[in-house]
Amino acid sequence: MSLVTATAANASSLVKNKRTRVIAVLMAVVGLFTIFVFAIGSPGNTHSQLTFTPINLTNAPWHLGTLTVLTRWTDLVLGLVMMLLAVEVFVREPRRGVMARFGVVAVLFLLALLFWAARTPGPSPIEYVNVTSFLVGASATTMVLIYGALSGVMCERAGVVNIAIEGQFIGGAFLGSMIASTTNNFFYAAIAGALIGGLIGLVLAFFALRYRSDQIIVGIVLVTMLSSLSSYLNLQVFTPFPNFNTGNLAPNLPIPILSKIPIIGPVFFNQSGFFYLMIVLVGVVSFALFKTRYGLHVRAVGEHPRAAATVGIDVIRVRYINVVLGGAIAGIGGAAFMATQGQFQVGYTSGYGYIALAALIFGRWRPSGAVVASILFGLSVYLSYELTTYQVPISIYFLDMFPYLITIAVVAGLIGRVRPPAADGQPYIRD
Amino acid sequence: MSDAAISKAAPEEAPVDVPPRPALYKSLWSRYTSTSPIVVAAYALFLGLVFGAIIIIVTTPAVLDAWREIFRHWDGLPHAINVSFDNVGAAYRAIFTGSIIDPQGFWHSLTTGKNWPNTLTPLSETLTYATPLLIVSIGVGIAFQTGLFNIGANGQAVIGGIAGTAIGSMIRLPTVIHLPMALVGGILGGMFCGLVPGLLKAYTGAHEVIVTLMFNYVTYAFLLYAVLSTPFQQPGQQNDIGRTLYSSAILAPLFGTKSGLRVSYGVFVAAAVVVFAWWLLDRSSLGFDFRVTGANPSAARASGISAKSVIVLVFLISGGLAGLAGFVQVASTTHYIDGGFLIGNAGIGFTAITVALLGRNRPVGIVWASLLFAALSVGGRNMQAATGIPLDLATVIQSAVVLFVATPILVKEIFHLKGTGQAATLQIATTGWGT
Repeated sequence: MSLVTATAANASSLVKNKRTRVIAVLMAVVGLFTIFVFAIGSPGNTHSQLTFTPINLTNAPWHLGTLTVLTRWTDLVLGLVMMLLAVEVFVREPRRGVMARFGVVAVLFLLALLFWAARTPGPSPIEYVNVTSFLVGASATTMVLIYGALSGVMCERAGVVNIAIEGQFIGGAFLGSMIASTTNNFFYAAIAGALIGGLIGLVLAFFALRYRSDQIIVGIVLVTMLSSLSSYLNLQVFTPFPNFNTGNLAPNLPIPILSKIPIIGPVFFNQSGFFYLMIVLVGVVSFALFKTRYGLHVRAVGEHPRAAATVGIDVIRVRYINVVLGGAIAGIGGAAFMATQGQFQVGYTSGYGYIALAALIFGRWRPSGAVVASILFGLSVYLSYELTTYQVPISIYFLDMFPYLITIAVVAGLIGRVRPPAADGQPYIRD
Repeated sequence: MSDAAISKAAPEEAPVDVPPRPALYKSLWSRYTSTSPIVVAAYALFLGLVFGAIIIIVTTPAVLDAWREIFRHWDGLPHAINVSFDNVGAAYRAIFTGSIIDPQGFWHSLTTGKNWPNTLTPLSETLTYATPLLIVSIGVGIAFQTGLFNIGANGQAVIGGIAGTAIGSMIRLPTVIHLPMALVGGILGGMFCGLVPGLLKAYTGAHEVIVTLMFNYVTYAFLLYAVLSTPFQQPGQQNDIGRTLYSSAILAPLFGTKSGLRVSYGVFVAAAVVVFAWWLLDRSSLGFDFRVTGANPSAARASGISAKSVIVLVFLISGGLAGLAGFVQVASTTHYIDGGFLIGNAGIGFTAITVALLGRNRPVGIVWASLLFAALSVGGRNMQAATGIPLDLATVIQSAVVLFVATPILVKEIFHLKGTGQAATLQIATTGWGT
């Protein structure tokens, strides 16, 4: 018996090592590409300009000037860092964080591409990279992903797969836009988003828990329904009454003094209320899941519902509560998306709900991990988007593919080395 | 399956002295209150239509105005109910006349013998829509039967459509070779797109739901790239329109171009696919392996079925069928691809998921389900034209129907149906994110 387990473990570790090697080689290829094409391939006299003045905060007391770097050397350094990470993974075969390193390499690659695209003299019409406004833009994407991933943590820790995050985003964005346009109050918009997200969560829980339907199927059907319902209501309500969908953005609430710090200030301390709420929620969810009695119950239900029921935990009730709360979080995320992107349009969440799901897996079903993963995904999504304004020799449509391809690569590289909650997706039959 | 079980069980349980056949109305009644899949599907359709009606009532301004009146005068209530029924009735009538037949036109044609093409247009449109939908749903259903979720059928259909159209529009050949080549091109395109999630699932364990969903977005970006770049874009075009198929590579209308009916020889392709799926699932050893893997993965492993090759093969077949459907869609309707090809909820790949579930993943069930959903979608177009209610309502109704079909116990409870819910539950293995 023990022999069998030992060989099995051996074989699986062999497979994992092989996969680690493959990932390392992939990273090295990207690094070499950067070194040869972007660094050695660009003329020695070209330089890239980095500016730091935020667009909407011109009265900042501490101005940073323009940083001009030689494109060749910057990209060479970036390429070398990628190679270093690749070699480290190949030689050391670290047990954890391989895919995090891969994500870092992907972001560095896009960064190198950005420097290279913005070089002067070069073909690009925009000759500088505004670091601060770039980070501010990326923080909006990251925020939405964090909301989605947190929602996933809430549901999946209790053992329910919530694929309907995308649908909750759509619902939250739709209703949020309606409430924000009519009341011009984003607090109400957030509440409306939470209500509709929670309602969708309740429907999911109702079908998945009471009738033990397949959770993935119910989730996907709910997303289909929500996206067609939003398209229907868009034509039926928003088109005849455009004042229901004015698309005003949530106002920024600068925190005194802190918001004046260069770079960090605009990114972290001059954001809308949704951003601060997100930070609070990350803390609350981490604390609730890992430091409270209730969190212990939730995790028990997600790992071994039968054992949890034996010690007197109401499995179904815990799952209901968590799925509804998780749905509410995703609904707020949808409202937050609307509050940073403007007017509701059909299909404009473009699969962020699914990327958030991947971020959840990447983050090993932990709030903190989900935050790190969301930052990596958010950076790569926003970099791909930002690159379309520069004249890059890659078609913008291939740039559009990039975040999705990274997601696929990460998910493919991760499974087997991360472990979901043991009862995730399994229906619980009370006996 | 449970139909057979019920009819088999009835005579055995009947005592000898009682006449073996109960009265006709009784047997019909017991049938209507049983949990056979067809009955559950019919009740689910009814519930879906009720859901759609509620949505029409709460979102149509005229109806809402009528209901607001009753806050002033109670006697406005009958009027409000009338207006609600009028609006819902008009919408559903438009769905029926737009997808099946217009009774007035039918009577006119029947009595005068004229105007038949016009009368048959709705049916022809439904069949035209159902043909690719049926093909792609069969592929999704085969994957479901193996316990695999192919959510990326839409992307696979897009790639298949592009590949087939590229072959059909960039080279000139006689029809005998050209059309089969383009069809095979579509299959290969879809297979390629299905192969990636299959390989990733088999060799890394990446969950196919995420991978195929992500692939939908990748293929959509690729579609925009293809219709806007040199080799594939229509020459002399600046917009997102691809090349037009040569007449040697199209699926010609069944009743000739003059009739104006669009239903094409694609129906024979679809029929061939149904026969193929029936043979594969019910008659071949490969299909047996598929079904065993779907029903009980560990039993399959124990009996020596290679899970990896099953996964890759299923995705090849499923993707190939989706790709074929994509090309059939092009070759029987527009003959070119534009940037809006199979976008969003109109995408047959997404409807296919619901069709496969409604058809319980069986070829024959999928035939009926695809006809039904095709009728809803085609009728939705007519409803939008006639009443201004957006055609997305059709998709809303479809997803509501599937939600109810996926939970037969709920339908059973609502209508107090007899029989064990066991027979009617959907048999799909839930695996969560596990490896």
